[in-house]
Amino acid sequence: MPGYFYVKDDQYLLNYCAKYLARYNTDRRHAYGPPEVDAPRDRVAEAWRFPIIDTYGGGADAVTDSKTFGDYNDVTFIYAGANATSPANVSVIGTFATLYDPIPMRRAMWEGEATRYWSVTYVIPKGQVHRYRFIVDGGEPVNDPVNPQEEALDNGAVWSRFFTDSFTSPIVLERWELDILYRLSTEILPFQTADSTNFLARFYDHLDRTSKESLYNNVYRLDASVGEVNFIDNILAREERQHLADYKICLRLIDRILRQRNPYMEPSRISREIYFDLYNEMASNQVQGWDYQTYSNPQYFLYLLRRHVATGAFCHPKYGGNAGAAGWAYLAERYTLPSPAPGQPGQTLFDWRRAMEMPLGTNAEYLG
Amino acid sequence: MIKDQFDAIIIGSGAGGAPIAHILGKAGKSVLVLEKGPLFRPQYQSPNGRSDFKRDELISDGPEKRVQLPVVNNGQSYYSSHVEPDLNDEPHIYRDVNNADKATIEGYTAQVVGGGTQLYGGVSFRFSPLDFQLATFNQNRNDIREDPNNDIKREARDWPISYQDLEPYYVKTEELVGINGTRENQQKPFSKDVYQPPLAPNGISEYARRGMEMLAKQLNPQNPILPYRTPLAVITRDHAPSGRKVPTDPETAKTSYVNRYGDPLGLKSSTWVSLLSPVKDLPNFTIRCNSVATRLTYQNGKVDRVYYLDPGGVERSAQAKVVVVACSAIESIRLLKLSALQDRAFDKAIHQNDLLGRYFMTHCFGGASAVLPERYDKSIALDADWATDCCSTEQFLREYGLWAGGALYNNTSDEALPISLLRTKDAMDLDNLWNGFMWASDLKAKALVDYFDNEFGRGLSISFMANQVPQRDNRIELHPAITDKWNRPVAYIIKDWHRHDRYLMDTYAEQAAQILQLSGRDIQAFKFVGKGGSYMAPNGIVRIANHILGGARFGTDRNDSVLDVNCRAWDFDNLYVTDGAFMPTSGSGNPTNTIEANSFRVADQILARL
Repeated sequence: MPGYFYVKDDQYLLNYCAKYLARYNTDRRHAYGPPEVDAPRDRVAEAWRFPIIDTYGGGADAVTDSKTFGDYNDVTFIYAGANATSPANVSVIGTFATLYDPIPMRRAMWEGEATRYWSVTYVIPKGQVHRYRFIVDGGEPVNDPVNPQEEALDNGAVWSRFFTDSFTSPIVLERWELDILYRLSTEILPFQTADSTNFLARFYDHLDRTSKESLYNNVYRLDASVGEVNFIDNILAREERQHLADYKICLRLIDRILRQRNPYMEPSRISREIYFDLYNEMASNQVQGWDYQTYSNPQYFLYLLRRHVATGAFCHPKYGGNAGAAGWAYLAERYTLPSPAPGQPGQTLFDWRRAMEMPLGTNAEYLG
Repeated sequence: MIKDQFDAIIIGSGAGGAPIAHILGKAGKSVLVLEKGPLFRPQYQSPNGRSDFKRDELISDGPEKRVQLPVVNNGQSYYSSHVEPDLNDEPHIYRDVNNADKATIEGYTAQVVGGGTQLYGGVSFRFSPLDFQLATFNQNRNDIREDPNNDIKREARDWPISYQDLEPYYVKTEELVGINGTRENQQKPFSKDVYQPPLAPNGISEYARRGMEMLAKQLNPQNPILPYRTPLAVITRDHAPSGRKVPTDPETAKTSYVNRYGDPLGLKSSTWVSLLSPVKDLPNFTIRCNSVATRLTYQNGKVDRVYYLDPGGVERSAQAKVVVVACSAIESIRLLKLSALQDRAFDKAIHQNDLLGRYFMTHCFGGASAVLPERYDKSIALDADWATDCCSTEQFLREYGLWAGGALYNNTSDEALPISLLRTKDAMDLDNLWNGFMWASDLKAKALVDYFDNEFGRGLSISFMANQVPQRDNRIELHPAITDKWNRPVAYIIKDWHRHDRYLMDTYAEQAAQILQLSGRDIQAFKFVGKGGSYMAPNGIVRIANHILGGARFGTDRNDSVLDVNCRAWDFDNLYVTDGAFMPTSGSGNPTNTIEANSFRVADQILARL
């Protein structure tokens, strides 16, 4: 239901506000990335949760088709004021609506009393990126002081940014960086072994046309992967933004090494052997030609990459990895009992669809 | 004006608090429940039909964060959880073997309405009659091993109530909470069997059942004590007391998103869906969640006022005839000690002896694991299928020179899903998630396929959960330097394992191993992997299994206990402590069922005086 907004019940809102935003302590306890400019978000927990991207379940004029539900997110904007009386009003503008019509936010109430938390929930299609700002007491639009995601426009203005679930275009990494990551991740994941390659070809071939369009156009190298690089880009933009600097620095160093090892070819195209060697050198922390002054521990970067790649291959697809549940489907097919009789499919020993919401899975009760 | 006068204020909405709130609420008493965490609703209670709990492997252990506190593990990774506290905001600090302070996620149940019962696997044992009488049992023995200083005879305590006293309340818990299981073969007397029928066990568990049976016959050929279906707090039939309905096919409750996941369908019997929801709409019932209790004050022999912070951090207060503290043993003790810091009269009354925080316990736990020749769909499972009491008979304890017993059960949902298989490689505790996989750099490509081939759907583990020797110096204090996000001192966990604990864990780990080895004997490709007690883990000193017990034990002697037989603090007329803190010994199984049963017992006492 694009264009539709409403206010969530207070219970839902306060659940997020109290745990992550409410506090007295003013230490920068949550600035665990590289040193950056001191920001209010360093003093709240899990700033990346804001705005809150959640399953769409319908408001007053909800549609009931689960397929339609699955196409949208509830995006809840939260603004914490100084106290329960100031500011007097807050609204949000953003590219998900018209930029000139502020959407009014409402104070959350607790036990019949006003709180300092303002909110509004906008229903936005999955797979989109938007920018937004708050208007506080009718002043100039300001960025979200909590959300760490920001986007610089061509005119130099910087806005707050968010993206909805299953977002499949690069946000923070550049094409050449994605290329190298893709090559490195194929050293880790099993999807490049001969039988796995067959699986992926068959899997993507058999997707219905709509799924194919929504997935294939964007998810990076979907013909030979399960979207793990896309996942990494997503979490570096949001949940694990503190690691973005590691990726930026190390990918630059790796790019240089690859060009030294084969000056005649783009790093994305050079042979598997060179990546294989590089992986092993990183694993032993002894990389020929690595600039240890700039980044002292290539082994740590590999360590990080391993967790991200494995998570991206098998997480819920809403995180932008495991595209179309290809990672799960790989295991489901690999671990299938032999066919009991001709024409009958064998039973899988990883029936992930059973537990998952429709349309991703087949569970009749769980709605995601 | 916000209502601030109640018959009872209950701090904490989990296993210790909710039974009392339920009973008092039903009886028409005005009740305020204060809960620090959020209220996460199942689908059927949510305004838009969607739960805050999800079937999502990243909801319980998600994005990486880093410890930023002045502790020696500063910089260590930890992972975001939907219901556990942020470690930088509210750490538990423990003293490690080198006397250095570290932050840990161990010892947190969950900060959410329902507390640990939202996150647990639901294993719901009763304690055995012997668990209530360990002083008497050990008094005249001369066969106890690995206890050179006779600590056990000095420190073991009988509970001031017997199994028979608690038994009717076990029945009440099993009925009102909603537990499935089988009574047959349990070595605990039942006056009534109110279990719902268990679901079909996962195929992999047959190895466990058979091994348990073989071990029983090996231990006692004449009278083997056979296994039973692990009692689980998951409803398998419509549950009249809480009005919950099961899906058309109850077997679909088996998803392996069980242990460490809240249940979006509300089938897992958390105290919210089972005990608090039936009273939530009563006019005499109030729950204020996202509201942290900060201190109690004392006047004229009573808790005079309870102070708390509302969801915006504004201080509020309320008064009641009765105050129940039940926010998990560590946090309850912390709250009492924080109150004492700020109110001299409270301090004097709660420290009428020096026992508050002492005799803190968890369980002796650990187990054994094997890789089976065949593969099973472990994603279709609940937390455990089979359990046995064959290693907690008096005969067994005397033969092995053990002071107390334990239960053994098989895990079914562990490592059932792909990410959990990878992130728990060589790292079974929450402080070490992912480390094993990340550093195993040779686990890649073809080797990673082989790893899945060998492990996925083939791992079977047997766990034990047994009594830990109470020790005076195992204790909870306030940390002298580190504060939480409200600038209050955090809990400081000082504990170690007794020599007998290690011996006991070795003994039970061997029994767990026997179950697997007997079951796999003569079976080609059956691979025994290993065994061990939790004390052997890298951070074994602080392993807690989230069974946090003791620290305010109850008893009949005011010089030897913090609480009286009704779990009331000795020098208070109206202060009760009813989470696991009341236990003088830690019991031979997972504690939730006993905490709940005891709270129903205390609820009757409180009701009688209101």
